Amino acid sequence: MDKIVMKDLSLFYGEKKIIDNINLNIPEKKITAIIGPSGCGKTSLLRCINRLNDLIPDAKIEGQLLFNEKDINTDDVDVVEIRKKIGMIFQKPNPFPKSIFENVAFGLRIEGIRDKRKISEIVEKSLRDSDLWGEVKFQLNGSALELSGGQQQRLCIARTLAIEPEVILMDEPCSALDPTSMLKIEELMKELKEQYTILLVTHNMQQASRVSDFTGFLYMGKIIEFGDTNQIFTRPKEKLTDDYISGRFA
Amino acid sequence: MMKFKRFKEIIGFGSLILSAVIVVLILGIMIFDIAAKGFEAISLKFLIDFPREGMTKGGIFPVIIGTIFVTIMTTLFSIPLGVSAAIYLSEYAKEGRFTRFVRAAIRNLAGIPSIVYGLFGVAIFVQGLNFGTSVLSSGLTLGLLTLPWIIATSEEALKTVPQDYREGALALGATKWQAIRSNVLPYAFPGILTSSILGLSRAAGETAPILFTGVVFYLPWLPGSVFDQFMALPYHIYILSTQHHAIDLVRPLAYGTTLVLIAIVFMLNLAAIILRYQLGRKYKK
Repeated sequence: MDKIVMKDLSLFYGEKKIIDNINLNIPEKKITAIIGPSGCGKTSLLRCINRLNDLIPDAKIEGQLLFNEKDINTDDVDVVEIRKKIGMIFQKPNPFPKSIFENVAFGLRIEGIRDKRKISEIVEKSLRDSDLWGEVKFQLNGSALELSGGQQQRLCIARTLAIEPEVILMDEPCSALDPTSMLKIEELMKELKEQYTILLVTHNMQQASRVSDFTGFLYMGKIIEFGDTNQIFTRPKEKLTDDYISGRFA
Repeated sequence: MMKFKRFKEIIGFGSLILSAVIVVLILGIMIFDIAAKGFEAISLKFLIDFPREGMTKGGIFPVIIGTIFVTIMTTLFSIPLGVSAAIYLSEYAKEGRFTRFVRAAIRNLAGIPSIVYGLFGVAIFVQGLNFGTSVLSSGLTLGLLTLPWIIATSEEALKTVPQDYREGALALGATKWQAIRSNVLPYAFPGILTSSILGLSRAAGETAPILFTGVVFYLPWLPGSVFDQFMALPYHIYILSTQHHAIDLVRPLAYGTTLVLIAIVFMLNLAAIILRYQLGRKYKK
């Protein structure tokens, strides 16, 4: 089943067309990677999906964006509910300057959950699921800002898992991390796809080929090619894709 | 040639340092002069006694209380209003004609001379709303005067909170207000608090806005309600140094009062600095 379907989706910032008529299906419980050079619109595309582009005053989205077969690109959709179901991991780890525990509990608290035991249980489970529990279990009340970059990013993942989303958007989640931390997060992604649909945006082609099931090549706001990751990286159909993945790209 | 360059360098650097020293010097001389002349008047009795014998003797207790009272009034009015307006401007307002208009209004408000605020206070609070000449009218007038400062500096403090905190919260399904309350306000709070204190310390020393709206020359009792008139430090200084029938006789008292006013303002500023340091440390690492 396709979790997210984009039909003729376009995004404008003012007059400028950032995303140009994209048609794309994101399958459920798989990792789909979007690759492409900087400035091709990858991040903007991701931010359409959880409606974070709403924050930009002159952003305008046209076309359909189906989530569980329902169009979420309409004015009457409750964006708060959408964002609870579609979590997001940012390029730069952005833990809140609170304790590790409070970071993970944040989504639960704004949900109005007061039950301390329930909160503790969910926090522990989320930290376990993000492979961070063993490293932080004795310092849950310590500041999240004291963690390393890789740990911070896994904390942000834990924070997102705590509210049990269906989809996780990842915006170059490893670009600010060292290689070891990156591999850890990649391992984590593979574990997470058992339960979650992951849409990964990256300019790191090796990463896309290592972790994703499907890959789309985005160039100047257009999807040039989309398909099975293996096929995209070994037998691309489009010349542009071939040029990009083989590094012959100006 | 090299020598000439070096010479120019020294002259340039020297004149910059000189400017900085002059500023410090002015402050130093002012404080030293007031402290030296006011010190002899200061005693516990001076701080807790009423003025006596046509203000030639006794203390300034009701004057201090009046200033504190009216400053509290100012705080209650200007901080909630100013901070709310700043939150609106920083977090909610979309750039457009209305927002530009509001910002222009605030800038202009900041440029209005304080005596005009005083006259406005008479027209609106004293007469229009019938609050009479009172702590309430003066507090509100001073509040108006402080508003532009509080709005501008609070907005500045809100803008320094990284966009990451807002987006991170929103991406977790927080409503806009939840994101602001839990992820923006706490981090802007030290900045808002310290600049508010600075604004209030400024207001505490103002004379013109309270001149027609509530301050009086002499009261044999303390103000008991917000509708009472009051005495205040800046006005008391003005009276003692220009309007009193025996100016030479009360000069030490005038200096003493000035010293108390300056001490209060300094203490408020010091509190602001300490708070900024303490709270700032708490929210970083």
